[in-house]
Amino acid sequence: MSKISNQVLKIIKDNEIKPKPRWYFLTKNYLIWLFFGISIILGSIAFSMILFITRQLDWDIYRYLGESWLKTFFISLPYLWLIFLLIFLGVAYYNFIHTRKGYRWKIFSILCISLITSIILGSLFYTGGFSENLENIFQKKLPYYPQLIYTWEKQWMQPERGLLTGTIKEVDLSQQNKFILLDLNNNLWEIEATNALWKGKLTPYPGLKLKIIGKMKDTNIFEAQEIRPWSGEGARRGAQKEHP
Amino acid sequence: MVNSADCLKNTDEQLVELSLTNPEYYWCLMNRYEEKLLHYILKISSLSKEDAEDILQEVFIKVYENLNDFDLSLKFSNWIYRITHNITISAYRKKRVNPQLLSWDYEELNNLIDSTSNIENVTIQNQTYEKILEIINHLPLKYKEVLILKFLENKDYQEISDILHKPMGTIATLLKRAKNLLQQELIKEGIKI
Repeated sequence: MSKISNQVLKIIKDNEIKPKPRWYFLTKNYLIWLFFGISIILGSIAFSMILFITRQLDWDIYRYLGESWLKTFFISLPYLWLIFLLIFLGVAYYNFIHTRKGYRWKIFSILCISLITSIILGSLFYTGGFSENLENIFQKKLPYYPQLIYTWEKQWMQPERGLLTGTIKEVDLSQQNKFILLDLNNNLWEIEATNALWKGKLTPYPGLKLKIIGKMKDTNIFEAQEIRPWSGEGARRGAQKEHP
Repeated sequence: MVNSADCLKNTDEQLVELSLTNPEYYWCLMNRYEEKLLHYILKISSLSKEDAEDILQEVFIKVYENLNDFDLSLKFSNWIYRITHNITISAYRKKRVNPQLLSWDYEELNNLIDSTSNIENVTIQNQTYEKILEIINHLPLKYKEVLILKFLENKDYQEISDILHKPMGTIATLLKRAKNLLQQELIKEGIKI
Protein backbone atom coordinates (compact mmCIF):
# COMPACT_ATOMS: atom_id res chain seq x y z
CA MET A 1 0.00 0.00 0.00
CA SER A 2 1.22 3.46 -0.87
CA LYS A 3 2.28 5.86 1.84
CA ILE A 4 0.24 9.01 1.24
CA SER A 5 -2.96 7.17 0.30
CA ASN A 6 -2.82 5.20 3.55
CA GLN A 7 -2.15 8.30 5.61
CA VAL A 8 -5.05 10.19 4.02
CA LEU A 9 -7.44 7.27 4.45
CA LYS A 10 -6.47 7.15 8.13
CA ILE A 11 -7.02 10.91 8.51
CA ILE A 12 -10.44 10.60 6.85
CA LYS A 13 -11.47 7.77 9.15
CA ASP A 14 -9.97 9.17 12.37
CA ASN A 15 -11.44 12.62 11.84
CA GLU A 16 -14.68 11.28 10.40
CA ILE A 17 -14.32 13.58 7.39
CA LYS A 18 -17.36 13.41 5.13
CA PRO A 19 -17.85 14.71 1.60
CA LYS A 20 -19.80 17.97 1.56
CA PRO A 21 -23.44 17.31 0.57
CA ARG A 22 -24.50 17.52 -3.07
CA TRP A 23 -27.08 20.23 -2.35
CA TYR A 24 -24.28 22.52 -1.18
CA PHE A 25 -22.64 22.44 -4.62
CA LEU A 26 -25.96 22.51 -6.48
CA THR A 27 -27.01 25.61 -4.55
CA LYS A 28 -23.67 27.26 -5.23
CA ASN A 29 -24.00 26.47 -8.94
CA TYR A 30 -27.60 27.68 -9.15
CA LEU A 31 -26.67 30.89 -7.32
CA ILE A 32 -23.94 31.61 -9.86
CA TRP A 33 -26.46 31.15 -12.71
CA LEU A 34 -28.98 33.26 -10.82
CA PHE A 35 -26.48 36.10 -10.40
CA PHE A 36 -25.56 35.75 -14.07
CA GLY A 37 -29.27 36.05 -15.02
CA ILE A 38 -29.77 39.04 -12.72
CA SER A 39 -26.72 40.78 -14.23
CA ILE A 40 -28.09 40.21 -17.73
CA ILE A 41 -31.51 41.60 -16.75
CA LEU A 42 -29.96 44.64 -15.07
CA GLY A 43 -27.75 45.12 -18.14
CA SER A 44 -30.88 44.92 -20.31
CA ILE A 45 -32.58 47.57 -18.19
CA ALA A 46 -29.49 49.79 -18.55
CA PHE A 47 -29.62 49.27 -22.32
CA SER A 48 -33.33 50.05 -22.47
CA MET A 49 -32.64 53.31 -20.58
CA ILE A 50 -29.87 54.19 -23.03
CA LEU A 51 -32.27 53.51 -25.89
CA PHE A 52 -35.06 55.56 -24.34
CA ILE A 53 -32.90 58.56 -23.46
CA THR A 54 -31.02 58.68 -26.76
CA ARG A 55 -34.17 58.23 -28.85
CA GLN A 56 -35.77 61.19 -27.08
CA LEU A 57 -32.92 63.45 -28.17
CA ASP A 58 -32.75 65.26 -31.49
CA TRP A 59 -29.45 64.38 -33.06
CA ASP A 60 -29.62 66.89 -35.91
CA ILE A 61 -29.62 70.12 -33.88
CA TYR A 62 -25.82 70.33 -33.81
CA ARG A 63 -26.19 72.16 -37.14
CA TYR A 64 -28.14 74.98 -35.45
CA LEU A 65 -25.73 75.19 -32.53
CA GLY A 66 -22.66 75.46 -34.72
CA GLU A 67 -21.15 72.40 -33.12
CA SER A 68 -19.67 69.28 -34.62
CA TRP A 69 -21.75 66.11 -34.68
CA LEU A 70 -19.09 64.37 -32.61
CA LYS A 71 -19.26 67.00 -29.84
CA THR A 72 -23.07 66.77 -29.71
CA PHE A 73 -22.74 62.98 -29.65
CA PHE A 74 -20.34 62.94 -26.70
CA ILE A 75 -22.31 65.58 -24.75
CA SER A 76 -25.54 63.67 -25.23
CA LEU A 77 -24.45 60.13 -24.30
CA PRO A 78 -26.18 58.78 -21.18
CA TYR A 79 -22.91 57.98 -19.41
CA LEU A 80 -24.53 56.86 -16.17
CA TRP A 81 -26.42 54.07 -17.94
CA LEU A 82 -23.47 53.22 -20.14
CA ILE A 83 -21.36 52.74 -17.00
CA PHE A 84 -24.11 50.55 -15.49
CA LEU A 85 -24.30 48.50 -18.69
CA LEU A 86 -20.54 47.93 -18.63
CA ILE A 87 -20.60 47.03 -14.92
CA PHE A 88 -23.42 44.50 -15.40
CA LEU A 89 -21.66 43.01 -18.42
CA GLY A 90 -18.56 42.61 -16.28
CA VAL A 91 -20.54 41.01 -13.45
CA ALA A 92 -22.27 38.69 -15.95
CA TYR A 93 -18.86 37.67 -17.34
CA TYR A 94 -17.48 37.05 -13.84
CA ASN A 95 -20.43 34.83 -12.95
CA PHE A 96 -20.40 32.98 -16.25
CA ILE A 97 -16.73 31.96 -16.03
CA HIS A 98 -17.47 30.61 -12.56
CA THR A 99 -20.14 28.25 -13.86
CA ARG A 100 -19.03 24.63 -14.28
CA LYS A 101 -17.92 24.91 -17.90
CA GLY A 102 -17.77 28.67 -18.25
CA TYR A 103 -13.98 28.64 -18.52
CA ARG A 104 -14.26 26.93 -21.90
CA TRP A 105 -15.62 30.14 -23.44
CA LYS A 106 -13.49 33.01 -24.62
CA ILE A 107 -13.95 36.38 -22.93
CA PHE A 108 -14.94 37.90 -26.28
CA SER A 109 -17.68 35.31 -26.86
CA ILE A 110 -19.08 35.67 -23.33
CA LEU A 111 -19.17 39.46 -23.56
CA CYS A 112 -20.72 39.35 -27.05
CA ILE A 113 -23.46 36.92 -25.98
CA SER A 114 -24.18 38.94 -22.83
CA LEU A 115 -24.30 42.19 -24.80
CA ILE A 116 -26.54 40.77 -27.55
CA THR A 117 -28.90 39.33 -24.91
CA SER A 118 -28.96 42.71 -23.13
CA ILE A 119 -29.69 44.47 -26.43
CA ILE A 120 -32.57 42.10 -27.31
CA LEU A 121 -34.11 42.15 -23.82
CA GLY A 122 -33.45 45.89 -23.47
CA SER A 123 -35.23 46.58 -26.77
CA LEU A 124 -38.22 44.58 -25.51
CA PHE A 125 -38.24 46.56 -22.26
CA TYR A 126 -38.08 49.77 -24.29
CA THR A 127 -40.89 48.71 -26.63
CA GLY A 128 -43.05 47.73 -23.66
CA GLY A 129 -42.65 51.21 -22.15
CA PHE A 130 -40.71 49.93 -19.15
CA SER A 131 -37.75 52.27 -19.65
CA GLU A 132 -40.06 55.28 -20.01
CA ASN A 133 -41.84 54.50 -16.73
CA LEU A 134 -38.54 53.89 -14.99
CA GLU A 135 -37.08 57.14 -16.31
CA ASN A 136 -40.14 59.05 -15.06
CA ILE A 137 -39.82 57.46 -11.62
CA PHE A 138 -36.07 58.17 -11.44
CA GLN A 139 -36.53 61.76 -12.62
CA LYS A 140 -39.12 62.39 -9.90
CA LYS A 141 -37.90 60.27 -7.00
CA LEU A 142 -34.15 59.80 -7.31
CA PRO A 143 -32.12 62.70 -5.89
CA TYR A 144 -29.30 63.91 -8.18
CA TYR A 145 -30.49 61.65 -11.01
CA PRO A 146 -31.81 64.52 -13.20
CA GLN A 147 -28.42 66.25 -12.96
CA LEU A 148 -26.65 63.15 -14.23
CA ILE A 149 -28.74 62.59 -17.35
CA TYR A 150 -28.74 64.74 -20.45
CA THR A 151 -32.42 64.58 -21.39
CA TRP A 152 -34.25 66.04 -24.34
CA GLU A 153 -35.70 68.63 -21.92
CA LYS A 154 -32.17 69.82 -21.13
CA GLN A 155 -31.29 69.73 -24.80
CA TRP A 156 -34.23 71.97 -25.72
CA MET A 157 -34.24 74.31 -22.73
CA GLN A 158 -31.35 76.46 -23.93
CA PRO A 159 -33.04 79.68 -25.13
CA GLU A 160 -29.76 81.62 -25.08
CA ARG A 161 -28.42 79.05 -27.57
CA GLY A 162 -31.56 79.16 -29.71
CA LEU A 163 -33.48 76.14 -28.43
CA LEU A 164 -36.78 76.34 -26.58
CA THR A 165 -39.56 73.95 -25.71
CA GLY A 166 -42.93 74.17 -23.99
CA THR A 167 -46.69 74.30 -24.42
CA ILE A 168 -48.70 76.95 -26.27
CA LYS A 169 -50.74 78.93 -23.74
CA GLU A 170 -52.38 81.46 -26.04
CA VAL A 171 -52.64 82.07 -29.78
CA ASP A 172 -53.20 85.55 -31.08
CA LEU A 173 -56.14 84.97 -33.42
CA SER A 174 -55.51 88.18 -35.32
CA GLN A 175 -51.87 87.23 -35.87
CA GLN A 176 -51.53 83.48 -36.38
CA ASN A 177 -47.78 83.84 -36.36
CA LYS A 178 -47.56 84.97 -32.77
CA PHE A 179 -48.29 82.89 -29.70
CA ILE A 180 -47.48 82.63 -26.03
CA LEU A 181 -45.47 79.61 -24.89
CA LEU A 182 -45.06 78.29 -21.38
CA ASP A 183 -41.62 76.67 -21.17
CA LEU A 184 -40.64 73.73 -18.96
CA ASN A 185 -39.44 76.10 -16.24
CA ASN A 186 -42.87 77.79 -16.18
CA ASN A 187 -41.66 80.99 -17.88
CA LEU A 188 -43.89 82.64 -20.45
CA TRP A 189 -42.42 83.50 -23.86
CA GLU A 190 -43.74 85.54 -26.72
CA ILE A 191 -42.94 83.61 -29.86
CA GLU A 192 -42.64 85.34 -33.19
CA ALA A 193 -43.11 82.80 -35.92
CA THR A 194 -43.53 84.93 -39.03
CA ASN A 195 -40.64 83.34 -40.90
CA ALA A 196 -40.76 79.99 -39.14
CA LEU A 197 -40.84 76.66 -40.87
CA TRP A 198 -43.55 74.52 -39.28
CA LYS A 199 -42.56 70.87 -39.41
CA GLY A 200 -45.16 68.15 -39.25
CA LYS A 201 -48.00 70.31 -40.65
CA LEU A 202 -48.79 71.87 -37.29
CA THR A 203 -51.46 74.43 -36.60
CA PRO A 204 -50.96 76.30 -33.35
CA TYR A 205 -53.58 75.83 -30.66
CA PRO A 206 -53.40 76.16 -26.88
CA GLY A 207 -52.02 73.03 -25.31
CA LEU A 208 -49.85 72.06 -28.29
CA LYS A 209 -46.35 71.05 -27.19
CA LEU A 210 -43.56 72.35 -29.36
CA LYS A 211 -39.82 72.41 -29.82
CA ILE A 212 -38.54 75.63 -31.33
CA ILE A 213 -35.24 76.47 -32.99
CA GLY A 214 -34.57 80.17 -33.31
CA LYS A 215 -33.08 83.18 -31.59
CA MET A 216 -33.71 84.86 -28.26
CA LYS A 217 -34.43 88.45 -29.15
CA ASP A 218 -35.10 89.89 -25.75
CA THR A 219 -36.08 88.70 -22.30
CA ASN A 220 -38.97 86.35 -22.93
CA ILE A 221 -39.18 87.14 -26.64
CA PHE A 222 -38.09 84.40 -29.02
CA GLU A 223 -37.95 84.46 -32.79
CA ALA A 224 -38.70 81.03 -34.21
CA GLN A 225 -36.99 79.71 -37.34
CA GLU A 226 -38.17 76.14 -37.14
CA ILE A 227 -40.99 74.64 -35.10
CA ARG A 228 -41.23 70.92 -34.44
CA PRO A 229 -43.78 68.80 -32.63
CA TRP A 230 -42.65 66.90 -29.59
CA SER A 231 -41.24 63.58 -30.68
CA GLY A 232 -40.94 60.27 -28.90
CA GLU A 233 -43.62 57.96 -27.60
CA GLY A 234 -44.19 59.80 -24.34
CA ALA A 235 -44.19 63.22 -25.93
CA ARG A 236 -46.61 62.12 -28.64
CA ARG A 237 -48.92 60.67 -26.06
CA GLY A 238 -48.70 63.89 -24.05
CA ALA A 239 -49.45 66.02 -27.10
CA GLN A 240 -52.46 63.93 -28.13
CA LYS A 241 -53.86 64.11 -24.65
CA GLU A 242 -53.92 67.89 -24.69
CA HIS A 243 -55.29 68.19 -28.23
CA PRO A 244 -58.62 70.10 -28.07
CA MET B 1 -11.74 -3.98 3.25
CA VAL B 2 -11.33 -3.03 -0.40
CA ASN B 3 -8.63 -4.96 -2.22
CA SER B 4 -6.65 -4.21 -5.41
CA ALA B 5 -9.01 -6.30 -7.52
CA ASP B 6 -11.97 -4.14 -6.43
CA CYS B 7 -9.98 -1.10 -7.44
CA LEU B 8 -9.09 -2.47 -10.85
CA LYS B 9 -12.58 -3.48 -11.90
CA ASN B 10 -13.99 0.03 -11.43
CA THR B 11 -13.50 3.18 -13.47
CA ASP B 12 -12.59 6.48 -11.82
CA GLU B 13 -16.17 7.69 -12.09
CA GLN B 14 -17.55 4.47 -10.54
CA LEU B 15 -15.01 4.77 -7.73
CA VAL B 16 -16.19 8.34 -7.05
CA GLU B 17 -19.75 7.05 -6.61
CA LEU B 18 -18.59 4.20 -4.38
CA SER B 19 -16.33 6.48 -2.31
CA LEU B 20 -19.30 8.60 -1.34
CA THR B 21 -20.65 5.74 0.75
CA ASN B 22 -17.45 3.89 1.57
CA PRO B 23 -14.16 5.81 2.01
CA GLU B 24 -12.24 2.56 1.45
CA TYR B 25 -12.95 2.94 -2.26
CA TYR B 26 -11.41 6.38 -2.14
CA TRP B 27 -8.15 4.66 -1.34
CA CYS B 28 -8.31 3.11 -4.84
CA LEU B 29 -8.56 6.52 -6.43
CA MET B 30 -5.75 7.93 -4.32
CA ASN B 31 -3.58 4.96 -5.06
CA ARG B 32 -4.28 5.30 -8.78
CA TYR B 33 -3.22 8.96 -8.88
CA GLU B 34 -0.63 9.23 -6.11
CA GLU B 35 2.47 8.77 -8.20
CA LYS B 36 1.25 10.79 -11.18
CA LEU B 37 0.18 13.73 -9.06
CA LEU B 38 3.33 13.75 -6.96
CA HIS B 39 5.31 13.83 -10.17
CA TYR B 40 3.14 16.68 -11.47
CA ILE B 41 3.47 18.73 -8.25
CA LEU B 42 7.23 18.39 -8.32
CA LYS B 43 7.38 19.44 -11.96
CA ILE B 44 5.28 22.58 -11.77
CA SER B 45 6.40 23.79 -8.37
CA SER B 46 10.05 22.73 -8.03
CA LEU B 47 9.28 22.17 -4.33
CA SER B 48 11.07 19.56 -2.23
CA LYS B 49 9.67 16.03 -2.15
CA GLU B 50 8.49 16.47 1.46
CA ASP B 51 6.60 19.65 0.60
CA ALA B 52 5.11 17.98 -2.47
CA GLU B 53 3.88 15.09 -0.31
CA ASP B 54 2.25 17.53 2.11
CA ILE B 55 0.52 19.21 -0.81
CA LEU B 56 -0.66 15.89 -2.18
CA GLN B 57 -2.13 14.99 1.20
CA GLU B 58 -4.00 18.29 1.22
CA VAL B 59 -5.17 17.61 -2.34
CA PHE B 60 -6.56 14.18 -1.48
CA ILE B 61 -8.46 15.51 1.52
CA LYS B 62 -9.88 18.41 -0.46
CA VAL B 63 -10.89 16.11 -3.33
CA TYR B 64 -12.64 13.78 -0.87
CA GLU B 65 -14.53 16.64 0.76
CA ASN B 66 -15.61 17.89 -2.66
CA LEU B 67 -16.49 14.54 -4.26
CA ASN B 68 -20.11 15.63 -4.67
CA ASP B 69 -18.93 18.56 -6.77
CA PHE B 70 -17.41 16.27 -9.39
CA ASP B 71 -19.21 16.68 -12.71
CA LEU B 72 -19.66 13.26 -14.30
CA SER B 73 -19.62 14.82 -17.77
CA LEU B 74 -15.93 15.62 -17.21
CA LYS B 75 -13.02 13.26 -16.70
CA PHE B 76 -12.09 12.60 -13.08
CA SER B 77 -8.40 12.82 -13.94
CA ASN B 78 -8.85 16.40 -15.25
CA TRP B 79 -10.76 17.34 -12.14
CA ILE B 80 -8.17 15.99 -9.72
CA TYR B 81 -5.35 17.55 -11.76
CA ARG B 82 -7.22 20.86 -11.60
CA ILE B 83 -7.45 20.75 -7.80
CA THR B 84 -3.81 19.65 -7.54
CA HIS B 85 -2.76 22.48 -9.82
CA ASN B 86 -4.61 25.09 -7.74
CA ILE B 87 -3.32 23.91 -4.39
CA THR B 88 0.23 23.54 -5.70
CA ILE B 89 0.35 26.99 -7.26
CA SER B 90 -1.07 28.53 -4.12
CA ALA B 91 1.51 26.73 -1.93
CA TYR B 92 4.30 27.58 -4.36
CA ARG B 93 3.40 31.28 -4.23
CA LYS B 94 3.23 31.23 -0.44
CA LYS B 95 6.59 29.55 -0.03
CA ARG B 96 8.43 31.50 -2.76
CA VAL B 97 11.03 28.78 -2.92
CA ASN B 98 14.18 28.85 -4.98
CA PRO B 99 13.38 26.62 -7.90
CA GLN B 100 15.10 23.30 -7.93
CA LEU B 101 16.21 21.72 -11.14
CA LEU B 102 13.43 19.84 -12.87
CA SER B 103 13.83 16.16 -13.39
CA TRP B 104 12.60 15.42 -16.89
CA ASP B 105 13.93 12.23 -18.34
CA TYR B 106 15.59 12.09 -21.74
CA GLU B 107 12.52 10.78 -23.50
CA GLU B 108 10.27 13.57 -22.15
CA LEU B 109 12.76 16.21 -23.05
CA ASN B 110 13.27 14.74 -26.51
CA ASN B 111 9.50 14.87 -27.11
CA LEU B 112 9.45 18.55 -26.26
CA ILE B 113 12.54 19.48 -28.26
CA ASP B 114 11.20 17.43 -31.20
CA SER B 115 8.09 19.57 -31.23
CA THR B 116 9.99 22.88 -31.01
CA SER B 117 12.65 21.93 -33.55
CA ASN B 118 12.08 21.43 -37.24
CA ILE B 119 14.25 18.35 -37.24
CA GLU B 120 12.67 15.05 -36.35
CA ASN B 121 14.20 12.55 -33.94
CA VAL B 122 16.53 14.97 -32.21
CA THR B 123 19.09 13.52 -29.86
CA ILE B 124 20.09 15.73 -26.97
CA GLN B 125 23.71 15.68 -25.95
CA ASN B 126 24.50 15.01 -22.29
CA GLN B 127 26.04 18.43 -21.68
CA THR B 128 23.02 20.27 -23.10
CA TYR B 129 20.45 18.24 -21.16
CA GLU B 130 20.88 20.13 -17.90
CA LYS B 131 21.10 23.47 -19.68
CA ILE B 132 17.75 22.87 -21.40
CA LEU B 133 16.17 21.87 -18.09
CA GLU B 134 17.42 25.08 -16.55
CA ILE B 135 15.89 27.10 -19.39
CA ILE B 136 12.53 25.34 -19.01
CA ASN B 137 12.69 25.87 -15.28
CA HIS B 138 13.10 29.59 -15.73
CA LEU B 139 10.20 29.98 -18.15
CA PRO B 140 7.20 31.90 -16.78
CA LEU B 141 4.80 29.57 -14.94
CA LYS B 142 1.99 29.99 -17.50
CA TYR B 143 4.28 28.57 -20.20
CA LYS B 144 5.95 25.97 -18.03
CA GLU B 145 2.63 24.46 -16.92
CA VAL B 146 1.30 23.99 -20.46
CA LEU B 147 4.58 22.40 -21.56
CA ILE B 148 4.49 20.04 -18.58
CA LEU B 149 0.87 19.05 -19.14
CA LYS B 150 1.39 18.52 -22.86
CA PHE B 151 4.75 16.77 -22.93
CA LEU B 152 5.10 15.18 -19.53
CA GLU B 153 1.52 14.36 -18.67
CA ASN B 154 0.58 13.75 -22.33
CA LYS B 155 -2.69 15.66 -22.00
CA ASP B 156 -4.57 16.85 -25.06
CA TYR B 157 -5.81 20.44 -25.51
CA GLN B 158 -9.27 19.72 -24.07
CA GLU B 159 -7.74 18.09 -21.00
CA ILE B 160 -5.30 20.97 -20.48
CA SER B 161 -8.21 23.38 -20.88
CA ASP B 162 -10.17 21.52 -18.18
CA ILE B 163 -7.18 21.48 -15.83
CA LEU B 164 -6.10 25.09 -16.23
CA HIS B 165 -9.66 26.42 -16.69
CA LYS B 166 -8.76 28.29 -19.86
CA PRO B 167 -10.40 28.06 -23.30
CA MET B 168 -8.79 25.65 -25.79
CA GLY B 169 -7.80 28.53 -28.08
CA THR B 170 -5.87 30.13 -25.22
CA ILE B 171 -4.14 26.82 -24.50
CA ALA B 172 -3.06 26.54 -28.14
CA THR B 173 -1.72 30.12 -28.05
CA LEU B 174 0.12 29.55 -24.77
CA LEU B 175 1.68 26.37 -26.07
CA LYS B 176 2.81 28.05 -29.27
CA ARG B 177 4.31 30.97 -27.36
CA ALA B 178 5.97 28.61 -24.86
CA LYS B 179 7.62 26.69 -27.68
CA ASN B 180 8.73 29.90 -29.42
CA LEU B 181 10.14 31.25 -26.18
CA LEU B 182 11.95 28.02 -25.52
CA GLN B 183 13.40 28.05 -29.02
CA GLN B 184 14.58 31.65 -28.60
CA GLU B 185 16.19 30.84 -25.26
CA LEU B 186 17.94 27.83 -26.75
CA ILE B 187 19.35 29.98 -29.55
CA LYS B 188 20.37 32.68 -27.06
CA GLU B 189 22.26 30.08 -25.02
CA GLY B 190 23.93 28.82 -28.18
CA ILE B 191 22.31 25.41 -27.99
CA LYS B 192 21.99 23.98 -31.48
CA ILE B 193 19.64 21.09 -31.97
